[in-house]
Amino acid sequence: MSAVADKPAAITSRFDPRFEVTLYRHVGVDGAHTLEHYRARGGYRAAEKALTTMTPTQVIDEVKASGLRGRGGAGFPAGLKWSFMPPIDGRQRFIVCNGDESEPGSFKDRYLMEDDPHQLIEGMLIAGWAIQATIGILYVRGEYYLAYERMRAAIAEARAAGLLGRGVFATEAEGEGDEATPASPGFDFDIILHRGAGAYICGEETALMNSFEGLRANPRLKPPFPAQAGVYGRPTTINNVESFCSVTHIIGRGAAWYAAMGTDDSKGTKLYQLSGPVARPGVYEMPMGATFRELIFDLGGGPTEPAKAIIPGGSSTPMLPWSDETLDLPMDYGTMAKVGSMLGTGGVIVVPESQCMVDAMANVVRFYAHESCGKCTPCREGVATWLPKMYQKLLAGLGTREDLTLMEEMVRNLRGTAFCPLADACAMPVAASFQHFRHEYEHLVDHGQPKYPTVSRWAE
Amino acid sequence: MDLPTLQPFFEDKPELLQEILDRYPLGGRRSALMPLMWEVQRAERHVSEARLHEIADIVGVTATEAKGVMSFYSTFHEHPVGRFHLQVCRTLSCKLAGGDELYRALVAETGLVSGETDAAGTFSLQNVECLGSCGTGPVLQVNDTYHERVTRTRLAELLAEMRAGHEPAPTRERGGDNVSAQKAARAEPAAEPAAGGPAEGPADAPADAPGGSSDEEGGAA
Ligand SMILES: Cc1cc2nc3c(=O)[nH]c(=O)nc-3n(C[C@H](O)[C@H](O)[C@H](O)COP(=O)(O)O)c2cc1C
Ligand code: SF4
Ligand code: FES
Repeated sequence: MSAVADKPAAITSRFDPRFEVTLYRHVGVDGAHTLEHYRARGGYRAAEKALTTMTPTQVIDEVKASGLRGRGGAGFPAGLKWSFMPPIDGRQRFIVCNGDESEPGSFKDRYLMEDDPHQLIEGMLIAGWAIQATIGILYVRGEYYLAYERMRAAIAEARAAGLLGRGVFATEAEGEGDEATPASPGFDFDIILHRGAGAYICGEETALMNSFEGLRANPRLKPPFPAQAGVYGRPTTINNVESFCSVTHIIGRGAAWYAAMGTDDSKGTKLYQLSGPVARPGVYEMPMGATFRELIFDLGGGPTEPAKAIIPGGSSTPMLPWSDETLDLPMDYGTMAKVGSMLGTGGVIVVPESQCMVDAMANVVRFYAHESCGKCTPCREGVATWLPKMYQKLLAGLGTREDLTLMEEMVRNLRGTAFCPLADACAMPVAASFQHFRHEYEHLVDHGQPKYPTVSRWAE
Repeated sequence: MDLPTLQPFFEDKPELLQEILDRYPLGGRRSALMPLMWEVQRAERHVSEARLHEIADIVGVTATEAKGVMSFYSTFHEHPVGRFHLQVCRTLSCKLAGGDELYRALVAETGLVSGETDAAGTFSLQNVECLGSCGTGPVLQVNDTYHERVTRTRLAELLAEMRAGHEPAPTRERGGDNVSAQKAARAEPAAEPAAGGPAEGPADAPADAPGGSSDEEGGAA
């Protein structure tokens, strides 16, 4: 068998006939949030398969083989993370779902929780089994009230149906002699639903744990990593909402099915989010490695006015100049790193030509300044205080060329000095705006006026 | 506490209190801080000093500690917000859809700036950061409800409803696969022969969702 030659090409386009919308199959469908709807379409069969026919190690191996990388922003391999859990030592273990989704430009997890809560519960149940955690924690950002209510109702439904609680998928002994299958006690697993209250930093995994514990949500020093000491100091694994939903299908349909989509370092199907002035903004599910062009033009209907930049994965990811070259880039982890950016959450923001870039960056900087937790000096003094002031000065027409040099230096020096990645999340996009749009900054300081004055963008 | 006339909030809600405390294992009583604050705030539109002391006592921390936690989060209010708490997203994607103008229109209409509540306690206004609805901006959150793609016309309608004392129904917009997934779902065979499946099969329901969720046809298509 000439295995190599026969290997079908990977699926990297939404329009490949082999591609199916999977994670968002039920999103937007009326009534899809109910257990009845979910089960009628094969729901909880993946969990049943995992819990009754696979060992925890087999589940972890399957997730490793799928190539799934965490969808919360950093893209860390999920199966590998799960394998970091220490051996079972009698301590309580936790599986945590990060539903804090707050990175500007990201809005995929909200719909997953609102419209398909059972897909998430099933993924958490499978993950709980894999790392042998009997308690799951779902942390939902405070503003997502509908998502919170839907998740609450879904958890109650799952409990009532025996899909959460004691002895999930327990079986009685059957048959006799050689054919006999012994009774299985099933798996004890339940989910605690916890609601945040409006703080971006709670999305950082250790800050989230502090928040859950009723503390101020400052990030914790790492190490120890969550696998060693997470929630209440116990072994913990944390993943993003979309990561868990992906696990449901990886187990249900197999790692090979999943890994047939995507590029070398980025496998599977992914939820991309499109915002900014385009004809059809929204969340689009595409195989990894699909291009910006496919997302922005073929699915999103193209920009409604001339564009000048693409922010590829949420506002913390360095922008790319709008060009044919950029549009043809595959949206995967490796490619984005190669061009000096990041895939992040896959939240693509199209920046129109008519938008002053300094004004846009002032907005981004204000966000991170507002969300700085104030724990460490570089971020508190640099991101939360100095940078927003500089942008105010520039926008007031009072900036100088020296200010620009100083700002560039400042964000360069800021990189890697802060306690958690939030400061870098602010510094990186600022640096990129200087790299690609320094002329707009210069125009502003030289003329006291922005190159692109504010225009009305509000629809009647 | 030195407010003897005030009945403790949880005094007549022992089951609710117990249910919240029971959620948290391993002696993690402190985890109940935020859920208890949420209960109070939903009922009273803020968490007063007296309530904060009550919650701190229940959980077993000092009032100062509880206050430290509360002040960390931008959605907990020390002072009452209005019956209609207007939260306008001011982050980038909404800005690109007119968020700044939406905010200014609300300032003009209510006479408030961010952080203020009117004397009658009807409206309060707050600038907030990205609400996770960037594809359907600009977004206005009224109390717990999102209103998406709030146009000038829609804002006028919302304000009229609120001024008449009604909580407006959510304007839930859709886009992307929130729309096209419906087509996929309809094309999909009604999965299981298993008994009792809901009657939603191939030729099922049009995209319109009743009950306040206005499904928009894939944006401006
Ligand atoms: C400042 C900051 C904010 C973050 N916000 C989120 C978030 O809202 N949602 C999320 O899933 N991950 C967020 N993360 C990443 C988490 O720390 C963590 O890596 C992730 O939840 C792990 O899940 P994953 O491996 O499945 O991606 C954030 C990280 C940082 C540094
Ligand atoms: S970098 Fe900012 S958000 Fe992170 S710990 Fe320091 S102050 Fe807090
Ligand atoms: S920018 Fe307004 S909801 Fe994200």
